[in-house]
Amino acid sequence: MKNCLIELQHVTKRYKGYESEVVALDDISLRIFAGEFVAITGPSGSGKSTLLHCMGLLDRPTEGKIIIEGKDTSKITGKDIALLRGKKIGFVFQSYNLIPRLTVMENVILPGLIIGKRREYLEKRARKLLKEVGILHRINHRGAHLSGGEQQRVAIARALINEPIIILADEPTGALDSESSREIMDLLLEMNRNKGVTVVFVSHDPVVARYGRRRLEMKDGAIVEDRKIK
Amino acid sequence: MSVSRMLAWNEIKEHKIVYGAIIIVIALTMASFLLENAYINYMMQVVNDTVKNITADAVVTNTDCNVRDLYGTETTIHDAGKIAQLIEEKLPGYKTSIRVTAQATYGVGIKDVAADACTLQGIDIHNDICVEKIKKSLVAGRFFSDEDPILRGHTPLYIRIEGPGYLPDIVYGSGQRLLHKDPPYPVIVGAAAAKIHPSIISVGKELDLYVSASARGTNYACVRVKIIGLYESGTPTVDAMIWFIPDDSLREIKCYGDVEGRSWIIPGIGGFQGFNPIKVNKSIGDVVLVKAPPPPISLNPVGHSESVREKIEKIVPDYRVFTWHDLLVYGTGSMQDVVTYLLWGSMGVTLVLCGFAIKYVMDSIIIRKMREIGSLKAFGARDRMIFEIFMYQGIFIGLVSGFAGIFLAILVMEVVNWLGIRMNFIAGTQLKIGFVVNWFTVVITLVLPVVLSLISASIPAKRAAMLPPVEALRKGEINL
Repeated sequence: MKNCLIELQHVTKRYKGYESEVVALDDISLRIFAGEFVAITGPSGSGKSTLLHCMGLLDRPTEGKIIIEGKDTSKITGKDIALLRGKKIGFVFQSYNLIPRLTVMENVILPGLIIGKRREYLEKRARKLLKEVGILHRINHRGAHLSGGEQQRVAIARALINEPIIILADEPTGALDSESSREIMDLLLEMNRNKGVTVVFVSHDPVVARYGRRRLEMKDGAIVEDRKIK
Repeated sequence: MSVSRMLAWNEIKEHKIVYGAIIIVIALTMASFLLENAYINYMMQVVNDTVKNITADAVVTNTDCNVRDLYGTETTIHDAGKIAQLIEEKLPGYKTSIRVTAQATYGVGIKDVAADACTLQGIDIHNDICVEKIKKSLVAGRFFSDEDPILRGHTPLYIRIEGPGYLPDIVYGSGQRLLHKDPPYPVIVGAAAAKIHPSIISVGKELDLYVSASARGTNYACVRVKIIGLYESGTPTVDAMIWFIPDDSLREIKCYGDVEGRSWIIPGIGGFQGFNPIKVNKSIGDVVLVKAPPPPISLNPVGHSESVREKIEKIVPDYRVFTWHDLLVYGTGSMQDVVTYLLWGSMGVTLVLCGFAIKYVMDSIIIRKMREIGSLKAFGARDRMIFEIFMYQGIFIGLVSGFAGIFLAILVMEVVNWLGIRMNFIAGTQLKIGFVVNWFTVVITLVLPVVLSLISASIPAKRAAMLPPVEALRKGEINL
């Protein structure tokens, strides 16, 4: 049986709206297993990003539990949550979120430095990752000087620096043209296939969503379809 | 370098113009604060030095004596010796000396018009608390020696009282010294007085001094003095006014005023009462000067002065104790305090405004950097790390401003010193503009901007640190 990395048990997330309460996630139960390549799709406002944020411990559910590698995160607070997030989860954002004045190398090693890893080790690993994502030649350039596709490659290398159990990508191609989108999705898929990196990504683009080996269709805060593609 | 320091440095480089502007404003404020303080300190030191020649750290006098009397010869303490001994016994480290003073005008010979005035201050050439100071500040001639003549056994030369005002225009005596063979008495004169009257006052010159020997119902005396040295204390007021003479000599001049002495006759004039020979009682003086040991940290000289007063008052409750600060306040009103308060006030207002500027700049940075803050949190950054990023920026602004302020102030001081700018001062003297840097103000110049910028940075820093990561990421997207 495959190893369950993240398990959501009856997760509900409610926000206070201007006039009434908004249910962003409605009693979601879900398991993500090691090695999966999961696409979360759905219309705008269906709760895709909220689900991803809850899985990534960036947001707390109003009800329910999120269990990461068997550990109930509802019982962890403050700095331990931050540490767990830093060690176990890699994030890729739609807008890349590179720090513009830092170099590619500095951007990549940043998450490692944050959780206290040694710089020498991180730089060595960063070179390897940057080579894998095909951006090693830009290692000393500043983040602001790269194209969108290049920035997202750096962001993927950054997400992998701490050897996370899972990569959560929120609209990873949302700001890219179709050619760059294809390259980035190919890269993520390659990481998944060749290195066994578990990836969960959110996309509203059906072309991109087709990359998912497992597709979760969301609507009104609920998973309406959970389909595995052979 | 820690992550937070690296990111803080990154932010500083990114916002160098706005931070630079804030730093320049704070640095200029602190530099002007330091400079003005140093200048006030200098001016106050000039006044203090003048005042301390009269009072040292404190002065014990009769209860009916007021501050103004200390400048003159109004007061006499008959058991000054006992008081001095008592203070030295009860307060370890305290030094005392008995001061004898007289007011004088000086002239060359009897035909020349007396020019200007001075205060003759008696100095015990071995034990007085001023000896070392005077020796060190000699610029010409020499200090007193044991071979120098004192007034012992001398006969008054002639007594002269002249107008204007309520004094009758009478001159006693023929203008001739009774004992021509008596040597003149040595005096050490302020260099500023020599500069004002170079033809009258220089080393080796002999003068006649018309002395108001004791103002309470006394006569005037005339004594012949010889200038053996010039001293320069750095404070023209002192140099122009205070002349030093061996205290035995001055005690004897004072004794002319004692009408209970033996009668004697001045040829051609008639009977006159006085002493001959005069018995010097070294226990009697105008006041007892007290020099206290310096405080371990001289951050609060006025407070130290007050504590010295309290200690002495406990030992001699029947006498009045004045401190140098009393004279300073008397001399300058509360000018020093007012100027100091104004200085602190204006600095405070500017710093508060700079504090607001730092806060609002950082607030705007946080709004623009929401996405980065959110990302850092997503990568595992704790609240404390985010807090530190902004606090390091605050420390940087504060430290650079403080050091820049000190550097600017030193630069201005050096330039002013190098140019040797002078200004007209009292009694026709010129005072070189100078600065006395007080370590307390240097510390304040450095610490205050740091404290201010830390306080100002702490509010936005806390706000950034407390941002939930998902909210920071979402707001960051909106701000894009």
